[in-house]
Amino acid sequence: MSTNGYKVIGSRPIRHDGVDKVTGRAKYGADVQLTGMLYGKVLRSPHPHAKLKGIDTSKAEALPGVKAIATAADLPQIADKIADLGEAVVNLRDSSNNVLAYGKVLYRGHAVAAVAATSRHIAAEALELIQVEYEPLPHVTSVLEAMKDDAPILHEDLKMTEMGEETDKVSNIANHFQHKQGDPEAGFTEADMVIEREFETATVHQGYIEPHNATAEWNEEGHLTLYTSTQGAFSVRDQLVEILQIPVSKVTVVPMEIGGGFGGKISVYLAPVAAVLSRKTGHPVQMTMDRDEVFIGSGPTAASYLKIKMGATNDGRITAATAYMAYEAGAYPGSPVGAGAGCILTPYRIPNVQIDGYDVCVNKPKSNAYRAPGATNAAFGSETVVDELAEALGIDPLEFRIKNGVTEGDRRPDGPEHPRIGCIETTEAAKSSAHYGASLEPSSDGKLRGRGVASGYWFNFNGGRSAISVSVNDDGSINMLEGSTDIGGSRASISMMLAETLGLSAKDINPRVVDTDAIGYTDATGGSRTTFATGYAAHATGKALICEMKKRLAQAWEVSADAIDFKDGLFSYKNDEEKRGTFKELSGKIGGTGGPLVAQISTQPDGSGGGAFATHIVDVEVDPETGKVDILRYTAVQDVGTAIHPSYVEGQLQGGVAQGVGWALNEEYIYNTDGGMTNSSFLDYRMPTSLDLPMIETILVEVPNVSHPYGVRGVGEVPIVPPPAAIANAIYRATGTRMYELPMSPPRLASQMAKNA
Amino acid sequence: MKKFAYIDATSVDTVPSLLGRRFGQAQVLAGGTDLVGELKEYIATPDRVVNLKSIPGLDYIRQEDDGLKIGPLTTLADIETSTLINDQYSVLQQAVSAIASPQIRNVGTIAGNICQRPRCWYYRSEDFDCLKNGGDTCYSVRGVNRYHAIIGGGPCYIVHPSDSAVALMSLNASVKIQGPRGPREEMLDDFFVLPELNIMRENGLRANEFVTEIIVPASKPNTKGIYVKVRERDAIDFAMASVAVTMTMSGNTCSEATVVLGGVAPVPWRVPDVEQFLQGKQITEDVASAAAEMALREADPMSDNSYKIEMTQNIVSQAILDLA
Amino acid sequence: MSSKVHVQARINGDDVEFLCEPRQSLLEVLRDVLGYTGTKEGCNNGNCGACSVILEGRLVNSCLVFGFEIQGKELQTIEGMGSPEELHPVQQQFLENAALQCGICTPGFIVSTKALLDKNPDPTEAEVRYWLAGNLCRCTGYDKIVRAVLDAAKAIKNS
Repeated sequence: MSTNGYKVIGSRPIRHDGVDKVTGRAKYGADVQLTGMLYGKVLRSPHPHAKLKGIDTSKAEALPGVKAIATAADLPQIADKIADLGEAVVNLRDSSNNVLAYGKVLYRGHAVAAVAATSRHIAAEALELIQVEYEPLPHVTSVLEAMKDDAPILHEDLKMTEMGEETDKVSNIANHFQHKQGDPEAGFTEADMVIEREFETATVHQGYIEPHNATAEWNEEGHLTLYTSTQGAFSVRDQLVEILQIPVSKVTVVPMEIGGGFGGKISVYLAPVAAVLSRKTGHPVQMTMDRDEVFIGSGPTAASYLKIKMGATNDGRITAATAYMAYEAGAYPGSPVGAGAGCILTPYRIPNVQIDGYDVCVNKPKSNAYRAPGATNAAFGSETVVDELAEALGIDPLEFRIKNGVTEGDRRPDGPEHPRIGCIETTEAAKSSAHYGASLEPSSDGKLRGRGVASGYWFNFNGGRSAISVSVNDDGSINMLEGSTDIGGSRASISMMLAETLGLSAKDINPRVVDTDAIGYTDATGGSRTTFATGYAAHATGKALICEMKKRLAQAWEVSADAIDFKDGLFSYKNDEEKRGTFKELSGKIGGTGGPLVAQISTQPDGSGGGAFATHIVDVEVDPETGKVDILRYTAVQDVGTAIHPSYVEGQLQGGVAQGVGWALNEEYIYNTDGGMTNSSFLDYRMPTSLDLPMIETILVEVPNVSHPYGVRGVGEVPIVPPPAAIANAIYRATGTRMYELPMSPPRLASQMAKNA
Repeated sequence: MKKFAYIDATSVDTVPSLLGRRFGQAQVLAGGTDLVGELKEYIATPDRVVNLKSIPGLDYIRQEDDGLKIGPLTTLADIETSTLINDQYSVLQQAVSAIASPQIRNVGTIAGNICQRPRCWYYRSEDFDCLKNGGDTCYSVRGVNRYHAIIGGGPCYIVHPSDSAVALMSLNASVKIQGPRGPREEMLDDFFVLPELNIMRENGLRANEFVTEIIVPASKPNTKGIYVKVRERDAIDFAMASVAVTMTMSGNTCSEATVVLGGVAPVPWRVPDVEQFLQGKQITEDVASAAAEMALREADPMSDNSYKIEMTQNIVSQAILDLA
Repeated sequence: MSSKVHVQARINGDDVEFLCEPRQSLLEVLRDVLGYTGTKEGCNNGNCGACSVILEGRLVNSCLVFGFEIQGKELQTIEGMGSPEELHPVQQQFLENAALQCGICTPGFIVSTKALLDKNPDPTEAEVRYWLAGNLCRCTGYDKIVRAVLDAAKAIKNS
């Protein structure tokens, strides 16, 4: 099966949760049904920025069927506290004010109050009866406007942090930071060719198909059980503890199946509100968002403005680069500009580099992580400039990337050194691919075709905390409990690593994602950490079981444990034919050696998550009459470390590409002049359908991560990074028009082509 | 959604009295793909929903001596897969297959598609008390009007959302309408109304009337039709711009043509000048571009939608050339 | 007048009776009233296909149909398609092809695929994409889904 000497790793078993998911039996958050359950709905602000002068709930309370109403007055006021939720750092005071607005509303869609009633329809009717007095304030919904000195200020108490120091300046700019190496000015002087461009990208949403949900049951003893679809049950627990100011021992979070997250299902929106309503009513309360609420009331990712300058010598060596990156944080500080600044320009060895990042509040929903947060915006800019430089210098764009590509020991613009990585290998694989080698035939019907390439980088978080708990059954199968949400097949990949370690097959492992009482603290599934870090724990658990098994066999065989060997899935004592067998054969034969065989391991790996590199090739066809772009062919090449379950690795690449194509061509929050989103539906927020994409070819380059026992590196995020730039570069090759704004939708591309004509 | 009562209608004659004389108090339910959305968003808040599906025999596609008759509850999917329509009225088949998605076409009806309400995001939002929702402002004028009208707008700037209506108008179709005093028939050319005439409705149906049949004159020999729709995605989306063209050709010469634009005006926008211009002309690239230019001569774009002019011109000229 | 209506229908071959308000969609009735939670809600507005069911042989979005409209009718949901012991070939091929990641759109896709293959047992890739365009998937990029559908068609033909 596998070329790397593994028996299970590299094979393609059917995932353990598959049958439940294809038969409709898998239970997602909205499928929870509890006795006496009420339904909750949220009232949202119609204003993008306003003072809350008063909320009158009396009429709504009088509606038959309404059981309780919650406002910010039901939440404890809490002090500033910074928390790292895995993919985003937040101030929990902001989180509290975000779930129910206190004093001010900061965006259209900001939650103001919530109702619990005996039916969804009654709850919705009750919302219409709540009277809120607003004092509208001037609003700002674009990053460059918000940075101006005379912009409306969202937070009067927010002082700008400048290069790590808090200043006295009250500003929407929460933070300005800088990464600098060498002397960029000198570097540009050294260059023969310098190109500087400005870019804008729109607010986009993760677009998971399952809306947010939470079902809370606060029982008589004051214990809160919260059922929800989340990327991190423990992250939800942390947030509930802080927002509700209750002891951690009084909260159990039960992770249900999750219908997509992509970074957007780590922060809580409904959970604390459902909890408050449950406490007030004494009933379980279920809340689910409508699609419209998902758009206006959850956490899309940042719109951004970038200015990027790069210089190179005639022989194709990049000498200097600067990047100015201003990202919209939304209503509260904390855009992904930090991550974006850590990924921009990272595929290149650039001696002189300066990156300035700005985190800017605007009257939009609090931005959140979205698959390689911040890196896609960044790469749209930097990879376009790289393409322009290569073209101006007359060098093949992949050759140019290989020439300047990073290897182990090169320093990233933000400081750290690259570990063993597959940047060059990936780009070379792209260059020698069948796709890149094939000529692009011109269209026969007047349409314009072009090929573009782009690269991308994502750090991959280096682990965090993960726990695994296993018990061995008499038949040698293993029940494996984990705390990592399985969004796209990680039960399978983690089980495969445990199976590999023990010489079992994937089906011998019975994996379960369990609640926060049943397993040790596990960080959220995000940052491409799960297969790396929870897999790391699974391997360690396997090792612990082997060790324990040797002890037991030592008793049973009456030999020394040290003398027992475990190799190729076989325990053996010297050449004794009686004293040998597989884990499976022997696990039922150790009765009387000390109770059931179990192991529990928690880990926090300190090595590198192994940076992820991708290079994409795309052929587009542009209709010059309408500005519509069709994707004809797409190939994603990526260093995936060791591909544990190659099908799900390919799936990650294909899914990232699809999201990237949507971001490139169609998706955007369209804001009205009054500060509201006009297109908050799947009709008007246009995610690609099956007709909008071709098959997506993948080339898996396997450069094992030296910091992981099986060479795992995160694969899920980087595939969204190159597509917008690759497509922009292809559109240019097809039409001669360079696009500096996302999305490159027909209205925008048609207008731009007309301007250039 | 507001509470409502529903009534299963049993015959065409009884529907007008069930609907009543005041707009808004009752709504007909056919396929429901538009109505259910309007009810969910509180755009429609009727006390009564009159179910037409309980009336037998409103679902048919028949060729008769004087042309094609389509029952009002015929689903878009049945039209899409009808060999009769595909063979003789292909422009309608093309338009219908470009609507939404299989699921919607499986329940959406032809009469419902013609009578559907606009997709303007201000009209569809509870937060905007726009002209069509009884307010006094068209928010698109100073707001985001990327997808709004470039022709025939004012004081409201919706575009008519129907694909099938554009094709049917190019086929000179008419509709049979049932009212309290019996049936009447109206050409589609006269059926749709501009906002300057009636801001609240997009067609001439009274509150107690409904469409009971679509009538398409028999197809002429040597006549072909084409429907071109521009949309961002290849499914689900409504038209940014569309055009239906039919041409009767003798050799290279066009003896008769119809040209109707969609997605650019508050009604399906027929351009008689262009139809006359094409009559008797040999179809060349120059003729096609002149026709395209003429078709958009009255265009008066808003702040964000001037791209639609060239886009529409391009598809008009492309459609004409494709038929020649 | 009673605010609820009494409806009798046949769901997955079983006779079912229920009471619902006229304003309750079929999706709501399936999930909240009858407990058929395999049918998923993605947008509740007909734009994502997660709630696809087969009503009288036709694929529909259950969020755009009222509960009362199924009176006397035959409905098929994901719960009626195969069992863990005996999966429908479409389900089997979705598993074999790794055609699901988060799985929330999967019941809708499987029901839509069944409706497609019932009418067109030997579709081309282009036809598969056309007939599944009403089902949104955000995880897979559709590649493995389309392959699973093509493989399921083959498997059904060979069986």
